[in-house]
Amino acid sequence: MKRRSLSINKTKRFLTFLIFTAILIQPVFVQDRFRKTPPKPQPIDKPDLPLIENYLFTNELSMALVREKSIPIISLGLIIHSGESSSPFELPGLALFTANMLTRGTTNLSSEEIEEKIEYIGGSSSVSIYPDYSIFTLTCLDAYLDEALALLSEMILQPGFSRQEIDNIKRSMYYDLVEKSNDPEFLAKRLLFQILFSGHEYKNIAYSEEVIKNLNRKDLQNFYTSYYHADNATLVMTGNISLAAASNKVSRHFNRWTVSNKEKKTIPAPSTHEKIKFCFLDMPMEKDATIYIGNVLTPISDADYFSFLVLNQVLGGTTNSRLFMNLREQKAYAYYAFSAVEFFNACGIFYINARVRSEVTGTAIKEIMREIEAVVDNKIPNYEIEQSKSYLIGNFPINLERQQNMLLKLSEIKAFELGDSHWNRYYDTVMSIDSDKVFSLPQKSSLLTPVVVIVGDINILIEHLKELEEINVYDKSGTLQYTIKGDENETR
Amino acid sequence: MIKLRFLFLFSVSLSFFLLALPVRCQEIDAFPYQITQYELDNGLQVILVEDFSLPIVSVSVAYNVGSVNERPGKTGIAYLLENLMFQGSKNVGRMQHISLIHRIGGEWNAIPPEENTIFYQTVPSNQLALVLWLESDRMNSLLLTHTRVEQTKNSLIEDLEQRMNSDPYLETSLLFDRLLYPDFSYKNPISAEISDIRNLTVNDIVNFYQTYYIPNNAVLCICGHFDKVQVMEWIERYFSSIPKGEDIPIFESITQMTSKTHTRTVTNPLISAPAFQIGYRIAPPYSEDYYPLVLLEYILLKGKSCRIYKRLMGKAPIAYMLEGGIEKKKDLATFKIFVVANNEVMKDRCLKAVQSEINKLKSNLVSNEEFEKVKNMFKRDYYNQFGTSADITIFLSENYLERQDLQIIQLELSKYLSVKPIQILRAAQKYFEQENVYLDIKIK
Repeated sequence: MKRRSLSINKTKRFLTFLIFTAILIQPVFVQDRFRKTPPKPQPIDKPDLPLIENYLFTNELSMALVREKSIPIISLGLIIHSGESSSPFELPGLALFTANMLTRGTTNLSSEEIEEKIEYIGGSSSVSIYPDYSIFTLTCLDAYLDEALALLSEMILQPGFSRQEIDNIKRSMYYDLVEKSNDPEFLAKRLLFQILFSGHEYKNIAYSEEVIKNLNRKDLQNFYTSYYHADNATLVMTGNISLAAASNKVSRHFNRWTVSNKEKKTIPAPSTHEKIKFCFLDMPMEKDATIYIGNVLTPISDADYFSFLVLNQVLGGTTNSRLFMNLREQKAYAYYAFSAVEFFNACGIFYINARVRSEVTGTAIKEIMREIEAVVDNKIPNYEIEQSKSYLIGNFPINLERQQNMLLKLSEIKAFELGDSHWNRYYDTVMSIDSDKVFSLPQKSSLLTPVVVIVGDINILIEHLKELEEINVYDKSGTLQYTIKGDENETR
Repeated sequence: MIKLRFLFLFSVSLSFFLLALPVRCQEIDAFPYQITQYELDNGLQVILVEDFSLPIVSVSVAYNVGSVNERPGKTGIAYLLENLMFQGSKNVGRMQHISLIHRIGGEWNAIPPEENTIFYQTVPSNQLALVLWLESDRMNSLLLTHTRVEQTKNSLIEDLEQRMNSDPYLETSLLFDRLLYPDFSYKNPISAEISDIRNLTVNDIVNFYQTYYIPNNAVLCICGHFDKVQVMEWIERYFSSIPKGEDIPIFESITQMTSKTHTRTVTNPLISAPAFQIGYRIAPPYSEDYYPLVLLEYILLKGKSCRIYKRLMGKAPIAYMLEGGIEKKKDLATFKIFVVANNEVMKDRCLKAVQSEINKLKSNLVSNEEFEKVKNMFKRDYYNQFGTSADITIFLSENYLERQDLQIIQLELSKYLSVKPIQILRAAQKYFEQENVYLDIKIK
C-alpha cells in the first residue's frame, strides 16, 4: 500500500514535471511543427457551378444566360456559328473582314458614333473569329441593357459597309499582320496550321497579309447574306438579370432578324499527318530558334477531350510539367517549352512550342520527341496524373471568375454544342481519369508523326540541323521554296 | 476541439470589430460586400470578405513599402526584395511558393512595388490554409543568403536592361518624372539605377526586410469561399506568433508641390519618331478638387471617344501614340500626357490640339450628355475593380493602406458621381493654367 502510494506520488511528480515541461515548451514545439510542413488541404466538394438557362425565340435565335451577381455589369456575346472555315478557299480572312465591318458603321451610325454609344453605356466591345464561329462581345452597366441590345442589333442587322471603312479595315488588317510577322512565335504557329490543315477549310485561319488585297465589298456582302441569320446565331449573356427579363429585351431588339433555313454545313475532319515532316521558315538575324511541333487529333470524343487535357498537363501544360522541367530547368536548352491542346468542331490539335538556344536546336527537338515518346509508349505514373487532375480541377473555377471569362466559356459550350452539363460534368469526368485511360487514348500515337516547324536564321541553324533527313523551307506566306536533303544537296 | 477553437477565437485580439456595411442598394453601391476587419496583437491588419459564388479564395498580403521608401544610392531594393520573396524562406524551398500554388491550379502574382508591395494568390477554397502557411513563412523567416541575393540581382538587372532596350522612351520618361516631382522619394522609379542594384549588399536587404516586412506594416486580406471561424483560427496560428517589428520610419510627406515650371528639349538617339510629354501638378488624392480632376481625365484621355483621342487618333489621325492620365503617388497627384508623332510638323499640330482641348475645358461647360457618358465610364472602371476576388483583396488593401479607414469607401463612388460640370471648369482653370513641365523629345 505504502509502496504503491509512494509510487503514485512519484508518478504524480513525474507527470506534473512532464505536464509543466510540456506547457513550457509547447509554444516552441507547436510552432515549429506547424511551420515545418505545408498543411493538408481540406476535402473539397464538387464545385457547384452556375446554371445555364436557355431560350429559343420564334425566329430560331437561341439564347443562353448565366446569372451572376458580382458587379452591376452585363456581358453580351453574339455568336455567329460560322467562322473563318466558312470563308471561300481563295478568300481567307473574309469572316474577320465581315465581322470587323459590322462594328464600323450602320446605315444610321458612323464608327465614331458607335464607339461613343458604347462608352455612353459604360461598355466595351470586341470581335473574335475562330475557325468554327465568330463572336461579338459587348458589355454595359446593367441599367443600360436595352441600349446595348439596341446597338448590337443595329450593328448586326443594319450594316453600313461604307467604302471608306472598307479601306480602313483592310489597311488595319494588313498592318496588323505585317506587325505580327516580326514575331517568330506567330509565324511558327501560322506555318504549323497551314501545313496541318493543307487542303482543309481550317487552313483559312492561317493567312498572310497579301491576301487582304483580294477582299472586296461584294465578297463581304455575300458572306454576310449567307451566314448572318437568326437561326445561325446564339446570344449568350452573363449578369444579374432573370431569363424572363433578358429574353423579353432580346426579343424586342432581335425579333425582326430573318431566318435562312439553310442546312448547316458539316466540316469533314482533316487527316492526321502520318509521317514526321520538318519545315523551316527563315528569319534572318533571329538569334534563337522557335519550334512548333504538332498534329491533328481525330476523331475526338467527349471522353478523349478530358483525357487529352490531363495528358497535356503532364507533358507541357505548366512550368511544373515534363517539357519545362527537362528542357529549361535541367538541360537549359530552352527559354520555355510548353504543350497545348485545342479543340474545334471537326478535330482537335495538339502542339508543343518552345524557344531554344540556336546551338542546341537539333538536340532540343530530339529531346522533345523523346518526351513525346515517353507519354505515348509508357503509362504515366499515377502521382503525375493526380497532380495534373489537381491542377485542372483547381484552375477551372478560377478561370470562370471574371465575368468576361465566364461569357467566353459559355460561348464555347454553345459554339461546340458541348451540352449544358459540360462544366458541371467537368469535375466528375476529370476525377474519373486514370493512367489507363490516358494510356489507351487511340489518337495519341499521332503525336509521334508530327509536323515540326522551326523558325530562325537559316545561316545559324542549318549546321545544328544536319541530322535531319529532309527539311522543307517555306516563305512567310507558307509557300514551299525548296527542300534541303540530309546530304546537304539542295533541291528546288 | 471545440474548446481549442474557442481558445483561438478569443485570443484573436483586441480591436476586433465588424464593419456592418449597408446592404446592397441599387446603383450607388460603392462596395457590395460585407467586410470583417480586425487587428492581431502584433499589429497585422486582417480584412475578410465572404463571397460564396465560386469555390475559390484569394489571399493578399500588402506591405506598406515601395520604391518611395528607398534612399539615394540604395534604389531597386524594394523591387529586389519583392523578387526575393519567391526565393524561399525557412520552411519553403526556392520557388516552392510558386510551384505549390501552381500544382493546385492556383494563380499568383505581385504588384510592382511603388507605394505598396502586394502579393496575391487565388486558389481552390480547400487550399486556403496552404496559402496562409506560405505567406506567414515568408513574413516570418525569409531566407536572404548571398547566393540567392546575387542570383536575384542578376536576373533583375537583365530584366531592367531588356526593358531599357525595348522601350526607347523610358530614359526621357524618367527625366520627365525628375522634373515633375518634388523630391527623391517621388522621382525615384521602381526600375531603379542598375549600378545601385549591383552595389546592394545582403545586409542592406536584411535591414529593409526587417524594417518594412513586419506584421505591423502589413495587411492580410482574404476574399472568397471560406468558413470565417476556421479562417480566424488559421490566421491566429500562422501569423500571431510573428513578432511585431519596430515602428516604421515616418514617410516625410510633401503636401505642397512646387509651382516651378520646366521646359526642356532633349534628343534621343534611340527613337525614330519625335514625341513630347507634358505634365501638371494637380490637387492631392481624395482632396475636394481631386474628384472633378478624375472626371476631367476621362473627358480628355479615356477611351476612344474622349476629346484628345478623337483629335489626335480619330478619323484623321495626326499622332502615332497617345498615353496619359492621373498618376497618384502617396499624397501627391500629377496629370501627364505623352504623345508620339510621325514628324516634327505633326508633333506641333498635336501639341496645339492638346492645348486647345485643355483650353476649351477652361472656358466651356461640359454638356450633360458628355458628362453622363464620362460618369458611366467611370462607374464601369470602378466596378471592374471588383471583377475577381483577387481584385477585391487588392482594392481593399490599397484603400486601407492609403486611407486607414475602410468605411470611407462606401462614400467614395458618390463623391465622383456628384461632381458638377462647373467643378470641372474650375479645376481646369486652377490646375491647367500652364504646363508645369514640357519635355520636347527630338530625334538625334
